[in-house]
Amino acid sequence: MKSLSLIPWLVLETLVNELLSRDANSPERLQKLAGKVLRFDIKELPFVVTVTVEQQAIRLSTSTEGDADCWIQTELGVLPELTDNANLTRLIKAGQLDIEGDPMLAQQLVMLVKGLDIDWESELEAKLGVLPAQWLSNLWRSGQRHMKEASKSHRRWINGVVIEEKRLLPARIEFEQFKQQLQQLRATIERLERQVKQEQ
Amino acid sequence: MNDKQDKQDQQRDSIDFGYQQVARERKKGLVANVFNSVAAKYDVMNDLMSMGIHRLWKRYTIDCSGVRQGMKVLDIAGGTGDLTAQFARRVGPQGEVVLADINDAMLKVGRDKLRDKGHVGNIRYVQADAEQLPFDDNSFDIITIAFGLRNVTDKPAALRSMFRVLKPGGRLLVLEFSKPITPALEQVYDFYSFNVLPKMGQLVANDADSYQYLAESIRMHPDQETLKTMMHEAGYDNVDYQNLTGGIVALHRGYKF
Repeated sequence: MKSLSLIPWLVLETLVNELLSRDANSPERLQKLAGKVLRFDIKELPFVVTVTVEQQAIRLSTSTEGDADCWIQTELGVLPELTDNANLTRLIKAGQLDIEGDPMLAQQLVMLVKGLDIDWESELEAKLGVLPAQWLSNLWRSGQRHMKEASKSHRRWINGVVIEEKRLLPARIEFEQFKQQLQQLRATIERLERQVKQEQ
Repeated sequence: MNDKQDKQDQQRDSIDFGYQQVARERKKGLVANVFNSVAAKYDVMNDLMSMGIHRLWKRYTIDCSGVRQGMKVLDIAGGTGDLTAQFARRVGPQGEVVLADINDAMLKVGRDKLRDKGHVGNIRYVQADAEQLPFDDNSFDIITIAFGLRNVTDKPAALRSMFRVLKPGGRLLVLEFSKPITPALEQVYDFYSFNVLPKMGQLVANDADSYQYLAESIRMHPDQETLKTMMHEAGYDNVDYQNLTGGIVALHRGYKF
């Protein structure tokens, strides 16, 4: 079933290329990478992902045929950090990243997708007409604002819990002392109970 | 004694065309008739017959080719140019893809389709016989022949001809119908090939005979291991194959070192 296993990759590839085709600046960014092959060996995935960049699109596969211009071994969570040059040395030292070949290529590839700037309003206008497109865009913007505010207030609440509550927490030594006092108190109560029973 | 000799001569001079035995020199003409007849509907029929899976087989072939920018690729029996289009995008403007086919009608359909899709600049179209390729020795990094080898009259000669024009270090990929690896699949496949395909051909392309030939020619084509041996005998090294869709199709790969 080798041929069927290609389907998810072809779907993903089509999706990415569709997005790239909707950004007017994509061809310029693709041009910088055209002809390059990047291979990602992600710790969490059971296969290697090969990205081949063409003049106007990218191709995804799990094939390891042929040489790659850049071979990256890393973890899934580390991928977003690759956009910043300053992180590379730290990640390599921490053993979270291993690069063979040109590291700039990986950064350019991440930026290619991350830098997508699509005018969704125009896209919707072309498909649905001006009014529905504006209504949907406004809905999306207000939803986005709401989400941002909600996330800000959640972050504030989490910060409050983490910082303020942490300040009120007893230190380990205080807790140990409290535990000892509690044990002493329990022992005193048991002793008193025994005395009370004897006198009865 | 003379009768026996005559029969041996006849066997040597005849070759399969589907299940029929025909004179060796007639096969090219008969195959040409088949493809002249189906050229216009070739892509539609491919999608219908394989339920679109031929696209996955071809994509898998591309992924296994190790193609890089600047390479020179020969797509033999390239027909309507499915592989050529994908190779052309990958080799970029510095590379070149030669779409070769013995059949003029198929070549024209392929050329028109690729030009309509904007593939210009790095594709050359050559009408060529796979047995006698009109190219210099050691001139291609990759050679592919997809669903074409079974129509070739002298397969060992074609494999040798491809070997000659392949660069040292280059690879040949043969994508071809083969033998299903499970008896159950083989039964279903036989039923489909001999009962459904010709009817589909009649309905869509108004040509049942060509699709009957297709089913027969697949059965007459060497199985996976035989083709592997033939590639070894033609000079290829590290020959291996991978069964696709249960062996209905196999991708053979061999290198010239």
